[in-house]
Amino acid sequence: MEILASTFFDFGINVQLVVGGLALGAIYAVVALGFVLVEKSTAVLNLAVGEFLMLGSYFGVAFFMERQTNFFVGTIVITAVMALFGLVIHYGIMRPMVGQGFFAIVLATIGIATVIRAVVQMRFGPLEKGNLTALPTGTIEVAGTNIRWVDIIVLLVVAASVAGFLAFYSLTRTGLHMRAVASNIEAAAGVGIDPDRAYALTWAMAIGIAGLGGVMLGHFTPSVNPALAAIGLRAFPAAAIGGFTSVGGSIIGGLIVGVIEQLAGGHLGTKWREPVAFGILFLVLIFKPTGLFGQKDLERV
Amino acid sequence: MSNALSIDELSVSYGPIPALKNVSIEVPNGGFVSVLGANGAGKTTLVRTISGVLYLQKGKRTSGSIKFGGEDISKLKSRSIVRGGIAHVPEGRMLFPHLTVDENLRCGAASRRDTSGISETLSEVFDLFPQLPPLQHQQAGLLSGGEQQMVAVGRALMAKPSLLICDELSLGLAPLIVRDLFLLLDRINQEGVAVLAIEQNARIALRHSKYAYALEVGEVVLEGPSAELRENQEVQDLYMGGGGDIREAYTAIRREVNR
Repeated sequence: MEILASTFFDFGINVQLVVGGLALGAIYAVVALGFVLVEKSTAVLNLAVGEFLMLGSYFGVAFFMERQTNFFVGTIVITAVMALFGLVIHYGIMRPMVGQGFFAIVLATIGIATVIRAVVQMRFGPLEKGNLTALPTGTIEVAGTNIRWVDIIVLLVVAASVAGFLAFYSLTRTGLHMRAVASNIEAAAGVGIDPDRAYALTWAMAIGIAGLGGVMLGHFTPSVNPALAAIGLRAFPAAAIGGFTSVGGSIIGGLIVGVIEQLAGGHLGTKWREPVAFGILFLVLIFKPTGLFGQKDLERV
Repeated sequence: MSNALSIDELSVSYGPIPALKNVSIEVPNGGFVSVLGANGAGKTTLVRTISGVLYLQKGKRTSGSIKFGGEDISKLKSRSIVRGGIAHVPEGRMLFPHLTVDENLRCGAASRRDTSGISETLSEVFDLFPQLPPLQHQQAGLLSGGEQQMVAVGRALMAKPSLLICDELSLGLAPLIVRDLFLLLDRINQEGVAVLAIEQNARIALRHSKYAYALEVGEVVLEGPSAELRENQEVQDLYMGGGGDIREAYTAIRREVNR
């Protein structure tokens, strides 16, 4: 590998990389958020996160490319449709499977992933589509550096939705009940919270926000194609930084992974992006398995 | 309206393994009843069955009925049971460790819709446990065992129950704290709430309850007014660490069961 000394200390380039990294990281963050939320609440390891993300991007193709829908209207509709899809997954697959073994349910999520891929290919064909262009494509000059509008808008949209979600999750009564179910299902059921309803909401939110991430991703990548599902794997290093249990930690984890990856890609060459991202996963798993923000076990006897 | 709990010939099993066999227990309106028993006697299964969370452990009621206020509640979901007036303090407290004390208590009111009533009950709970208000915003998992048990009792009271079931309130707590908790149960009971205390600690349970049952391997082997059971040699030997030969007493009770 060769470090390009000429760019390594270039302020402008680094700012561009960091902003781009934050935008990319914001997408990782929402995927990781959905992954951790489902894992923590329902104890389901959802290996279809990447496919949900990709499906969001293809919904973007259907709305923004084929129908020229307004960006905000389209994003809201796609998020809502994906949330409904989350409900279908809960009531159609996960609820009937309650009580089955861990691996049976993980395999079911892989089955969901396969079905999504197949349906996407049937509807959109195997060829890649161009990237989504519902957002302004130009740049804006900030302190002598050109920042892409796409990066800024992606960051803002994700920040607003994540803030909205966190406010709901931590401040409302329903959010409290969801956290209680995630914490101890028997105790939650015992006080009269309906765990089934909490699970359904969890799935709806996790898949809805993954769909939102997919729309953002579609604007971010050069093309929308089935391989975008692999981006979903970035949820794992991001979630690992959050210790796989911290919803807030997974968001910060996503941002960290995005920024480091973008810096590595910019300075070392794009082939270094994935090794660096998964290098983080290994480092965290080996040296800090509880994550930087993982919840410690608070059980005290 | 009578809010008596009446369990009749209840049998429960986990898969092929029976946990309760023809158990009949009565808690009169406003009464204070205890159920004694060692580990594996079926005490926690009894609590789970009454409160409708048995399905989470894949348990099943195979026969018998549970009536509360004359209404059959054995098929109801936990949510309706809590709304109907039965709240329980689960074994091992089962708080939500990462939620604050305040949030834990508010979860206890999950079955209620009356926002102003909930705040009112919250301040009543804080009156009952003056130690809790300063800890309101702490994570429940960081509290001491006794404080956690107070939160667990408080959480159950947030449902404004007419029957409070306590599963092993004394477990892992210092004798003085246990004594205080039972004094509180007396107070709650005097305010008209019926109490069903499921206890390994027979000494304290018999001191506070008015009527008691002893559960052995899923069956009721003894019952009677608590004052009488306190004087009963078998009970003393088996549950109160009394002087007699425990093996002999146990055989006596087994004989009683097999009869």
